[in-house]
Amino acid sequence: MHDFIERITAYVHWALFLLLEVLSGFLLFRYNHYQGSIWLTQANTAVAKVHEWEAGALSYLRMPAENAALVRRNIILQNKLDVLRHELVLAKADTSQTQKALEDLLEGMTLIPAQIVDNSVRKRDNMLVINAGSDEGVAPEMGVVSGTGVVGIVSAVTPHHALVMSILNSHSSISCRLRGTEYFGYLKWKGGKPLRAYMDDVPRHAHIQKGDVVETSGFSAVFPAGIFLGKVAEIKNSSDGLAYELEILLSTDLANIRHVNVIIDKRKEELDSLLAQ
Amino acid sequence: MGWALLLLAIQVLVLDQVHPWGYGAPLLCPLLVITLPLGTARSEALLWGFGIGFVADIFAGTAGISSAAMTLIAFIQPPLLEVMVPRDSEEELHPSFSTMGRWNYLQFIALLLLLHHTIFFALEGFSYFHIKDIAISMGVSYAASLLLIILVEHVRNPQK
Repeated sequence: MHDFIERITAYVHWALFLLLEVLSGFLLFRYNHYQGSIWLTQANTAVAKVHEWEAGALSYLRMPAENAALVRRNIILQNKLDVLRHELVLAKADTSQTQKALEDLLEGMTLIPAQIVDNSVRKRDNMLVINAGSDEGVAPEMGVVSGTGVVGIVSAVTPHHALVMSILNSHSSISCRLRGTEYFGYLKWKGGKPLRAYMDDVPRHAHIQKGDVVETSGFSAVFPAGIFLGKVAEIKNSSDGLAYELEILLSTDLANIRHVNVIIDKRKEELDSLLAQ
Repeated sequence: MGWALLLLAIQVLVLDQVHPWGYGAPLLCPLLVITLPLGTARSEALLWGFGIGFVADIFAGTAGISSAAMTLIAFIQPPLLEVMVPRDSEEELHPSFSTMGRWNYLQFIALLLLLHHTIFFALEGFSYFHIKDIAISMGVSYAASLLLIILVEHVRNPQK
């Protein structure tokens, strides 16, 4: 009997090893999907709090670069505003109507400011955590933008934090178009460099040049149309050779942002109910 | 325990936030398994490895990946250590440059770390087409982790 117990205990670590590896595998498959429990992610309240303290401390170090980017963005926007104002004056015939249309577009949007408390860019499926949650009005499927462009889409929320699927995520797919044209496609990230994404399914007859601007299409109501995504860096053939695949240089350096806004689009409910029918 | 918390904090708060050239970050937590003393019960080592991996996973949002890699090296560490130290070693030998000798300990670290990184990046890159990118990420991270761990070990236990 004694011999038997000794034999068993000699192998107990093998069983434990297999058990723990199976448990890891279970965690890997179960919780790396967004439908999985949010409590095992970085948005878990305790974990998010720790990251928040850290982000608070680090924010001072990143301020100069962030400020510079904001100032730059401000100048660009000022410039654009001037141009638009000028065009508005020129379009005298229906000034009141144009202005009304513009106001209507912006009226449906509410912006919730938030700060990133945890972020990554080196994984295949990058997620980030922001310090605004359901109490602030954030809900899954809302778009998140920064001063320089699109950041990602909210995937789950807790009362004061939200888990955001970054555009640097293999599951991310953002409806986009080439500015000034009707060519649209989906922006996808395939891993590797954090500033390089791809836009698929652009027809071969499209006239595209390097440097063309890629923006959101507004088809999904997660993002309004016209938000900056990046610029065309390379024009390649798609794998089936039937369309172009554009390599996009993203405008937002996700490795280096902190302040973001969550977009609440009131049209979204209407659009969703339409799509559900 | 305090040492483990400090190392985990450094991993989670500092290292997870740096990405050399956009590639893999250095991983320091394997050191917590590497330095388990001689004679640690196999099951104890396994639970320790899994536990640290689990915590690292939650903070980094990599559920299951670190725990799988850490459990594996916790499984290998005790027998490997037994083979790599002289037979007449003291009972509770703590692996370090001074107790194992520079070259021996370096091999010990490099081997376990390689095993850890192979599993970690293989699981992370699951169903991932850019094999080249994973390989580069793993290489960069491995080199960075190895250097960092050697540095930490020298600071912690200066060689006489």
